[in-house]
Amino acid sequence: MNIQRAIAVLTAVVATAITPFAANAQAVDVGKHPPITILINSSPWYGGFEKVVQLYEQQTGNRVKLDTTPFGGMLEKARNAVRGQRSPYDLLNLDTQWTIEFYEGGFVTPLKDIDPSFDLPKEVLAYGESGYWNADKRWRTSKGGKLMAFPPNGNVAFFVYRDDLYRTAGLKPPQTWEEVIANCSKLHQPPNTYGMVMRGERGNAIRYDWMYFMQGKNATVVRDAENGDYTVTINSPQAKAALDLFIDVAKKCGPPNAGALGQGDVIQLLSTGKAAQGMVISAAWANFDDANKSAVVGRIQAVPVPRPADGKPPAVLGNWNMVVPRNLPDEQKKAALAFARWFLSAPAQRAYAEGGSIPVRSDTFASDLAKQPKYRWFDAYLKMQSYASQELGYAEGAQVEQVLGLRLNQALIGEMSSGRALNAAAKDIEEIFRKNGRRTGALPPLPE
Amino acid sequence: MTHGTSTALPFAGRERAIGLALLVLAVAVVVGPFVWIALQSFKRQIDILTGAWVFTPTLANYVDVLFSRRSDFAGNVTNSAIVAMASTVLVLVIGTLAAYSLHRFRWSRAISAAFLGWTLVFHMVPLLTLVGPWYVAFRELGLYDTLWALVITHVTINLPMTVWLMMAFFREIPHEIEEAALVDGCRPLQAFWRIALPLAAPGLIAAGILAFIFSWNEFSVALTLTSRETATVPVAVARFAQQYEVQHSQMAAASVVSTLPALLLMALGQRFVVRGLTLGAVK
Amino acid sequence: MASIPHPAGRVAARAGLVDRLDRTFRWWSFAPAVVLLFVLTIFPIVNLLRMAVSNVQFVDGRAVWSFAPGRNLQAMLGDPVLGAAVVNTAVFVVVAVALEMAIGIGLALLVARLDRGKGLVRTAMILPILVPPVAIGSMWKLMYNYDFGVFNQALTALGAMPVNWLGSTSVALTSVILVDVWHWVPFVFLILFAAVEGVPQDVIEAARIDGATSGQVTRRIILPLLAPAIGVALLFRGIFAFKAFDEVFLLTGGGPGTSTELVSLHLYKVFFEQNQLGYGAMLSLAIIAMIVAFLLVARRAGTALATTR
Repeated sequence: MNIQRAIAVLTAVVATAITPFAANAQAVDVGKHPPITILINSSPWYGGFEKVVQLYEQQTGNRVKLDTTPFGGMLEKARNAVRGQRSPYDLLNLDTQWTIEFYEGGFVTPLKDIDPSFDLPKEVLAYGESGYWNADKRWRTSKGGKLMAFPPNGNVAFFVYRDDLYRTAGLKPPQTWEEVIANCSKLHQPPNTYGMVMRGERGNAIRYDWMYFMQGKNATVVRDAENGDYTVTINSPQAKAALDLFIDVAKKCGPPNAGALGQGDVIQLLSTGKAAQGMVISAAWANFDDANKSAVVGRIQAVPVPRPADGKPPAVLGNWNMVVPRNLPDEQKKAALAFARWFLSAPAQRAYAEGGSIPVRSDTFASDLAKQPKYRWFDAYLKMQSYASQELGYAEGAQVEQVLGLRLNQALIGEMSSGRALNAAAKDIEEIFRKNGRRTGALPPLPE
Repeated sequence: MTHGTSTALPFAGRERAIGLALLVLAVAVVVGPFVWIALQSFKRQIDILTGAWVFTPTLANYVDVLFSRRSDFAGNVTNSAIVAMASTVLVLVIGTLAAYSLHRFRWSRAISAAFLGWTLVFHMVPLLTLVGPWYVAFRELGLYDTLWALVITHVTINLPMTVWLMMAFFREIPHEIEEAALVDGCRPLQAFWRIALPLAAPGLIAAGILAFIFSWNEFSVALTLTSRETATVPVAVARFAQQYEVQHSQMAAASVVSTLPALLLMALGQRFVVRGLTLGAVK
Repeated sequence: MASIPHPAGRVAARAGLVDRLDRTFRWWSFAPAVVLLFVLTIFPIVNLLRMAVSNVQFVDGRAVWSFAPGRNLQAMLGDPVLGAAVVNTAVFVVVAVALEMAIGIGLALLVARLDRGKGLVRTAMILPILVPPVAIGSMWKLMYNYDFGVFNQALTALGAMPVNWLGSTSVALTSVILVDVWHWVPFVFLILFAAVEGVPQDVIEAARIDGATSGQVTRRIILPLLAPAIGVALLFRGIFAFKAFDEVFLLTGGGPGTSTELVSLHLYKVFFEQNQLGYGAMLSLAIIAMIVAFLLVARRAGTALATTR
């Protein structure tokens, strides 16, 4: 998959080099269709999406209604929509963690069943193939899997830093966590400035941020889920090393309430200027350059998240997927697919990026847009996408996340040692898989 | 026998001062955070995040909440107003009648215990487990995405508290008054309308205010049974609590905007109830 | 009845209808509540009971039910977080409700003493329950913010150490309780205030003439008269406290550790986020059992308190 990605990026770069006006290609003709309704959340990238929808209506004459829903209500509405007789929505926007429930429950129609000629353009980023579903393996993969969704938005986390503080202290962007800690020794001066902030709040917050450390140390939650081996490996020595490193960074660089920081708190600390470095989700970038929301406009830079000195560079995906519910008449499904086809085209994606959203085509990233200062994070984003992967890609994902979200937090706040936390997590997770009939097992427990 | 308001309980001077001081303190503590929220609504997000006390005020948040493309706040307020007023009136009527019936007429213990017990059990069930079946039911009936579905469910949700509250207030009315009226040839309906209800007026107002507020602020059912056009104020305000951060400045403005119509409607409703009751009252 | 153009006859016809309404008043005053409650609640609650003893899975777009009470029971007994949630909830409910009742009743008595401005004070007191719950959680989170929140700003200005309101396991639950108290004191106040308004003046006058002190008047006369209202306020506030969700969801998400895990939050995670419908339904029933137990204990304590007067 990495090779495919590299070829795609290379092709895009070459294509853009030899056809400088490729972005101004003709609008895609998708035909006339009845109006559709999309379930979508209000989010930082909603503005861009709305602009693109308006463009769609102008160019094709097909009408689109957007039901903007609070994020906290998205899953509920999506579930209700597919469990009734007829879905009130033609496209549902699903967070990556919810997709498996919908794929496996048979609630959505594979996109190629609606129109066999539909395919994701090869420039569209793969996002860990979260849009595919292989029902036999119960895994999201294009190998033997059907295309179920297309991505309207994808996120990874960046490592961000204040380039003005770096210049004063004579630092350079770090490649490893050890370098980050070294930077902290110069930058961390509580209570005025914190060296580095990242999420530590119980739940999805700490799970997501910690998994960068986990990936960095080559640890995994299960041995080989894709091939059905759900032996729990969360309490491996590598995972313990990852947790210890995470706690070390938090202690040496972070505020006293590191165990209560959510993404909003991290953004707050960075945009008020109180934090010198941080790990933040790409979706939050717009905050930093908005004078109404930030005291450090133009002073924040992004690079890929560092790796441990003895590890590999990590990137955990968190993307949205749009699916077509099953309980719809055919013409509505076709209309939804027409929008998808139009949306994924190069001109639409460019308009999308210009509207303030994160595009999903690699050629949009590689285009001249990347040269504008407000898109200075494109490089880091694209680089991370080339090695990004999905985590928790199984039906029990939500339960596993809640176990991890609790145990990691308990280790961070010092309620238990990292060894004990991981052992407890492993025990709970093994129980979850066992109850669901997976082939599972455990590693020998870590020293506590 | 005098009954009712104007209880300027004549307590001694120093006690009065202490009482007044405590009252001022309590009101300050209660109102303080609300004033703070109102203050935040005039700040830019960065000023909120830094907790700045010195800042240049702006109306941008109100503009964004009320007039921006993605926000149909005026429509949401209208929806909330309709649903809250309708469900409050209905729940007061249905609940008060039921409460009076249970209080006044000798229903068998089995029936009254079953009904009251069921209301309590229903009140104990977490709402989140009920919205699923309600969605399915209302969708089948074609009432999904209408305000009617919300009105009906809100009435049901507020019914237990209204019934119990009105029963407590009816119980406070001395029996002799009603007995005397009936001996004088007053009919049951008249006894209710002209005697019991005016005497229980404070309870009616309290129940009405609570039912109105609960309906106005109800989120789970409103989220499930509505879509963009029929969404109510809590759903609209929740849009500012996004996946990764809260848009505090707009949320503060939205909260303030949400409070004002509710206060206005309650003040009007209260006056209406009081006037209506005093018209029919026989003191 | 045949249509009679004579006015007296029309009055007689109307009198007949009113008469019928009067005779059947007993029934039609009670029926709407029964019907509404029955129609809207019977199916969901029966559904819940059914779910509690089943395992619900979704295959091919449809729900597949299988009878599996043991599985749900086992899930409940093996739940590592449930014990902490129950303890936290018990503490939360007892402390929060006790504070709300005490403050609410006290305020109602105080406000009743005012000659003027009662309506204004009452309107001011309603404000906390008027703010949308999601805004309450977000705003208090801002106020509790360690670096920039109002409380720590005040503390540091006074020279004290900032408090880790939401990040310390020892303080977090107290912080959540404070928000709840602020949010719900108006509820108790409203009910009690209405009840105090209904207290007959002459009884108090008589007591004063007999030389009773204000404290005695309050304790011996007013409070017993307020007993039914206190009972209802306690009942509903107690039940509602068990369902407290919005505050803790937005403020802490149950953390740090399990220090603010409440059963309603845990139910949300199990039933909704994890989509374990069977176990979630059983958990709801367990919550109801908890509430019933609490109410029985509270009632026994209440009657004990009343009889020691």
